[in-house]
Amino acid sequence: MAYYVNRNIKMTWWERLYLPEIIKGMGITSRHFFVNLFGFVPYLLGAKKERPIMTVYYPEEQVQYPIAYRGRPVLAQNEDGQPACVACGLCEIACPAYCIHIEPSENSGKQNQYERWPDVFNIDYAICIFCGNCEEACPEEAIFMSDDCEISMLDRKQMLYTKEQLLTPVADLQKRIDFTRNMYAKWNY
Amino acid sequence: MWVDLAITFVKILFVLAITVGFFAPVLTWVERKQSAIMQDRIGANRADILGFTVLGLFHIIADALKMFTKEDFIPQGANKILHTIAPIIAVVPALLTFAVVPFGGQYTLFGKEVNLVISDLDVGLLFVFAIASLATYGYVIAGWSSNNNWSLLGSMRTASQMISYEVTMGLTIVGVLMVYGSMKLTTIGAIQEDFFRWGLFLQPLGFVMFLAASIAENKRIPFDNPEAESEIVAGYFTEYSGLKFGMFFMAEFIEMVTIGAIMTILFFGAWHIPFLPTATLLGWFDFFGTTGSNLIVMFIQVGVFFTKIIFFIWLQMTIRWTLPRFRYDQIMKLGWKILLPLSLANILITGIVILVLN
Repeated sequence: MAYYVNRNIKMTWWERLYLPEIIKGMGITSRHFFVNLFGFVPYLLGAKKERPIMTVYYPEEQVQYPIAYRGRPVLAQNEDGQPACVACGLCEIACPAYCIHIEPSENSGKQNQYERWPDVFNIDYAICIFCGNCEEACPEEAIFMSDDCEISMLDRKQMLYTKEQLLTPVADLQKRIDFTRNMYAKWNY
Repeated sequence: MWVDLAITFVKILFVLAITVGFFAPVLTWVERKQSAIMQDRIGANRADILGFTVLGLFHIIADALKMFTKEDFIPQGANKILHTIAPIIAVVPALLTFAVVPFGGQYTLFGKEVNLVISDLDVGLLFVFAIASLATYGYVIAGWSSNNNWSLLGSMRTASQMISYEVTMGLTIVGVLMVYGSMKLTTIGAIQEDFFRWGLFLQPLGFVMFLAASIAENKRIPFDNPEAESEIVAGYFTEYSGLKFGMFFMAEFIEMVTIGAIMTILFFGAWHIPFLPTATLLGWFDFFGTTGSNLIVMFIQVGVFFTKIIFFIWLQMTIRWTLPRFRYDQIMKLGWKILLPLSLANILITGIVILVLN
């Protein structure tokens, strides 16, 4: 539904005086000013008080990101220490930026060995656009978007993460796994 | 004679120290911090020396270092001489205005009458406006000599805005002159010893109009069209860098102090505390002797004067961080169609009231 903004507002005589409305506005801003300036006083006197300043001292202080946040994609590591990935290559195809590189390896006839697993699994975060398509495409619940966004580096080559760097225990990703199950089930895939 | 010269020298040093040395740098910090606090943010606090940040006060030092070490750039096709002297022309009037601004009354120190004003001109008020309007040249020359279209637009806007609002400013002053009957700033200050003769009560309309016009003269929001960032990059100082840019910046902040000082003297009781005449204050500290009591009263009144200036700076900052920018036609409309008739009406009403009361 489109919004229609009425741009022909007739101002009252009081508003057209301009000065009272300015003083009203300045009242609001200076109220914020004084509340923030002396807001620590009741806090010092022992009163429990909400902090009016919402800014966070970022590197020292951090906030919990919402579970829907898409940070860097990571590989889920199951209890055996192996990736849950079966190297099907769907995420590689789904990736719009072509940042994933997979070289599969398969069972050569040995007992108790995985049927198929990625020998090389690289994600280049310098190319990744954090769209989450790989997570959506994955049929094995192997790749997930974590809440880690602090991946800036001084060297572009360091941003190419290999399989060992990408592996993250499933236990750490449990919330995100539940979230994706919930989300994609709703969309009826 | 040498003593007089020495006293004048000390007064000049004091004024320079307090404007260039204290207000101009500290206001850069105040501007950041106050805007942050008003908008529920924390504000500048990252510059640290050995881990101490002191509320971000070290940003002043960081700023100064940045200004000094930056490349001094003159664009291709610019008029080098004018480009270099423009910031000087802009900053000198801002400083010169303080020559006639009294920052205290008259005191008897060591058997000598000391008048706390560098030069007690009979036409002090006119001198202030004559010098303040000289600053326009600095801005216009800066814009023209930069060989940049944005700069030229900015300087044109500056010129037209300054001319429009100087009319209002001058006419507002006429009302003040009629009330006090003097152009000497020291006399105007001395008259306001009586709380009910403050300009604020005698000329309430003049006070508001003078505030608006002086903010427009200083080109700060809501009248910052000459340097509107979202429209014409940075206006007349687009092509300036390093210390020259810093001089324009300093001129703006010193002008804020000057406006505060002029407002305080004309409308806000100068160096007087309400209901406390100087004689009463002198009586309180009488047991220190003439010089001692005069010294104490001098410090108190100079302190009061600068407290009032700080209040006006706070007011200007609050206005700057509350209101959005006017459109260009709105500025012209406000200047010529509203403030000019109002200031004329103000003169008329003041004249009638004075005639009736006498």
